[in-house]
Amino acid sequence: MSAAPFGFFGKIIEIDLTGGDARVLPLDTALVADYLGGRGLATRLFYDAVDPQCDPLGPDNVVVIAASPLIGTTAPTSARGHMVFKSPLTGVIGTSNSGGGWGHTFKSAGYDALVIKGKADSPVWIDIAPGKIEVLPAHHLWGQDIHATNDELTSGFEAGSRPRALCIGPGGENLVLYAVVGNDKNRVYGRCGGGAVWGSKNLKAIRVQGKEKIQIHDKERYQSGYDQALYLLRQAPVTKRLMRELGTAGLVELINVINMLPHRNFQDCTHRPEDLERMSGETIAKTILEKAAGCYLCPIGCQRHTRIDGDDGSTQRGEGPEYETVVLMGPDCGIYDLAAITTANYRCNELGIDTISFGGTVACAMELGERGLLGAEKEGGLDLRFGAAAELEKLAVDTAHRRGAGALLAEGSYRLAERCGRADLSMTVKKLELPAYDPRASFTQALGYMTSPSGACHLRGGYAVSLAFFGGTKEIPRFSLLQSPIAIRNMQNTGILQDSLGVCRFTGYAFGSDPWSRMLTGVTGMDFSVFRLEEIENRVASLERLFNVEAGATAADDALPPRFAETPIVVAGEEKMVSEQAQERMRRDYYSVRGWDSEGRPTRALLEDLAIAPRAGRAS
Amino acid sequence: MAVTVKFFAYFREVFGGRECGVPAAEAATVGALLDRLGDTPQRRAELLAGAGLKPHLVIMINGAPLPPDRPLETALKDGDVVAIFPLLGGG
Repeated sequence: MSAAPFGFFGKIIEIDLTGGDARVLPLDTALVADYLGGRGLATRLFYDAVDPQCDPLGPDNVVVIAASPLIGTTAPTSARGHMVFKSPLTGVIGTSNSGGGWGHTFKSAGYDALVIKGKADSPVWIDIAPGKIEVLPAHHLWGQDIHATNDELTSGFEAGSRPRALCIGPGGENLVLYAVVGNDKNRVYGRCGGGAVWGSKNLKAIRVQGKEKIQIHDKERYQSGYDQALYLLRQAPVTKRLMRELGTAGLVELINVINMLPHRNFQDCTHRPEDLERMSGETIAKTILEKAAGCYLCPIGCQRHTRIDGDDGSTQRGEGPEYETVVLMGPDCGIYDLAAITTANYRCNELGIDTISFGGTVACAMELGERGLLGAEKEGGLDLRFGAAAELEKLAVDTAHRRGAGALLAEGSYRLAERCGRADLSMTVKKLELPAYDPRASFTQALGYMTSPSGACHLRGGYAVSLAFFGGTKEIPRFSLLQSPIAIRNMQNTGILQDSLGVCRFTGYAFGSDPWSRMLTGVTGMDFSVFRLEEIENRVASLERLFNVEAGATAADDALPPRFAETPIVVAGEEKMVSEQAQERMRRDYYSVRGWDSEGRPTRALLEDLAIAPRAGRAS
Repeated sequence: MAVTVKFFAYFREVFGGRECGVPAAEAATVGALLDRLGDTPQRRAELLAGAGLKPHLVIMINGAPLPPDRPLETALKDGDVVAIFPLLGGG
């Protein structure tokens, strides 16, 4: 074990909630060299600590949150944290990232990672500051929403020393399978149901505070990367102005132009442009937007602080909606009502449920309702039709509390559709609801959903709607079976790097690995060349896959719902779908690109090549 | 007999509207269309850089991207819908 003086503190907190014990363990420098931080480091610590066969909502599940060596510097957007757990929604790795300020403050408390095991007998929260780690009763917080909990734990402090809190709302307490962990008030670890895992452990909140500083090894080298990054962020239109002007919902009309915007549970991609205009980023900016803002250290500023004025003279304020929320709680449910979507979004943020999975589950319930497939479920109050905008907000509240129809929606679309005998009507991969890009409009995106370690996620699976998508000299044709496997591997790897650095996806619209390499090497004094970063990306991808294989996932799980192989949509005048044969070919080639065997399993030789050690404390 | 041009994001302010029609005779190619649209130095600077397309500019014809080789020479015909927008991202 060597000292870790630059870029990190060399300290991991491990808390066993069963006994309420906390201890500080040394962080092996070799782990930072091999797994960096954030997603990479959290995945390795998680892999070493958890039984892949464990019950995700049982005491044996483990939650790991990790910071990166860049967190604590001034690097743009470097305040993000990454959380890894076994997902109760999917049964495979749950891996989720969040902005806000918590990641930065956690690092400032003097720690690099947090490992949470066991289950408390009754509700608890954890208080972390330099020299202090306490597990405290949370009866007074249990039942409160994310905003109230955050206020309770972080108010009353002097400016400059205000702590930050992660917490769950009623969604997590009630084990909604896609409950989030809230970060500040409106940022979330959104996907895969991390909030339900916290709820199952009786863990309500984690507050952090501190002003510890990391040491930078080579300030000049760090600065050279920083200057390059900031210059490029100020050149690219998307990071320079568009995100601040339009937010992510600026994509709504654009994604419709390329025939990729889902409609009525992904039955087609056909909309009236005037309907979409009512909920576009441009319209949001002109109507409900009060302020654009950024996360800590972010010059991009995509946050939408909005206001909805009710017909009764009432005013509500909150954040959102983002592109994914607009589309999945909107057109995918046959709804084109911005106020209804936004107020339901506010409730999801406050009560702590993922807007993507919630929207996808409601859309699925609507299709089941329209097809007359709801039997006993109707008795539970679930009888929806597409376009039911007036129901949306109440459905979100009922879902978070598992009341009435909400008890069925809380299980996610796959389990709902399965109990109605039509699992094929759940638009999921590995039981995780699809984001708002129809995979029939891009084979590359389709393969990303298929092979994402966490199920259908555009952030873990690769985001194909990049500059290369739209033509130009670096174009990757979106229906190329040949190029999609390598293209999506590269996009996934970029995501692994960003998640492991603790930085925002949107920096990728301005620059690639090189500025990060300079900053990282400058901060740590370790070799983080672009080549070494690529090694880390491949290592993390194969370790995530290894966990999934050990948890029971197979190649058959790397598949789209039948709808996408059987029912075409029209893209640029041509019918498109992703046939079983196309999926099989891309899957095979992707496994080959990754160096996995024909069943998608990392081979022993690959694990040796990538220096992925067997699980700590266990012989291979 | 016209090509329809649809503008997105800040191009709506630059070109003063959501869309416009350009006579097909004045828009035989993408290059000719952009010449026609770039009728002030500011508008031209938003579309073209030197002899090529401005970086981060996305142009799609009937929902399909421009070809990577010689995009400005792409032929247009009556009834085509040309979408012009800056690269956007989301998530």
